[in-house]
Amino acid sequence: MDVLDKYKKAWDNQPEDSQKVSKDDIYKMAHSRSSSIVKWIFIIGLLEFVIFQCSYFFYDTEKGYEMYKKMNLENFYIVTQIIGYAILLFFLLKFYKNYKSISTIDNTKNLMSKIIKTRKTVKHYVFFNLSYLFLVLTVVTVAMTNNEIEEIPEEKKIYIIIGLIVFGLILILLFWLFYQLLYGILLRKLNKNYKELAKLNELN
Amino acid sequence: MQESLKDKFLNDFEVNQNIAHKICRLYTSNKNDHNDLFQEITIQLWKNYPKFRGDAKFSTWMYRVALNTAISLYRKSTRTIKTHDISDVEFKIKSEDYDDTEEQQLKALYTAIRSLNDIDKALVFLYLENKNYKEISETLGISEVNARVKMNRAKDKLKKILNP
Repeated sequence: MDVLDKYKKAWDNQPEDSQKVSKDDIYKMAHSRSSSIVKWIFIIGLLEFVIFQCSYFFYDTEKGYEMYKKMNLENFYIVTQIIGYAILLFFLLKFYKNYKSISTIDNTKNLMSKIIKTRKTVKHYVFFNLSYLFLVLTVVTVAMTNNEIEEIPEEKKIYIIIGLIVFGLILILLFWLFYQLLYGILLRKLNKNYKELAKLNELN
Repeated sequence: MQESLKDKFLNDFEVNQNIAHKICRLYTSNKNDHNDLFQEITIQLWKNYPKFRGDAKFSTWMYRVALNTAISLYRKSTRTIKTHDISDVEFKIKSEDYDDTEEQQLKALYTAIRSLNDIDKALVFLYLENKNYKEISETLGISEVNARVKMNRAKDKLKKILNP
């Protein structure tokens, strides 16, 4: 006999919940603030876009441009700026599109995969930004060591470049750890459940 | 128009609220969390209600939204449930003649299902609510074959807990 058959009658006859909610309370609850994962992902995602953009405000653009000019890197500066904004726009649109596609009336697996996809868009943006920063820093340092500081002996230049690369890698590692922690806490349950469903489909 | 949509929603939800309560009982371990999850389910149902088309039953639609909320949107998990936690969940006996053994069975069943993972919980819950494998697989987004395989495994786990 099926293990659940024995309990089926008890399940079917279970009394209504003692915490029955009135229409008034349902109405109030329906209009209260959601604390769902999706809402948090949206807020944190937007914050990340904002924080990364704000970090550029600390940077004196005009002075920066002058410096690039001195190093004969004006074209590099203009191109990186244009690419930077184009890519920000691309990620923002993708993030919004993915967020909008999340629907609680979807099936469980699709819903989870869309939540994960939205989160990944922001993750990719941040990692893109870090690599971009890294690339710009490297180019500027190489240009600086070649043009500006001529008194530096050739063999020391290599140490500066290596130092910069190590600094960049440590920065990326720190961000990665922060990410693991932040989204690890937020999405631990969701990831576990998604793996459970994904594992099932691998059976076929 | 907005007014009638609201009234319709309140009527539909009030009548079917027990579905949400059962899900809350399975996915949370104390009264506070139960209320939290219940509120989130209410928010999600109301938010999506304009998309609900009358051609499906409200209850069918509600199973999906409520389970999705419990599995994917709600953050707290029941990983550390201990047997005694079940006493937090009130089963007030409504009718006088509600069978005592049935009450014990129900408590044992809830305790057993709560020890399963979130996906297995959903499977067993839908099965107990008389949903067929087609509906179960559509709700979870897996194939019918996988739903059956997974259900059999969940039943084996339950068997070990209920009849040690």
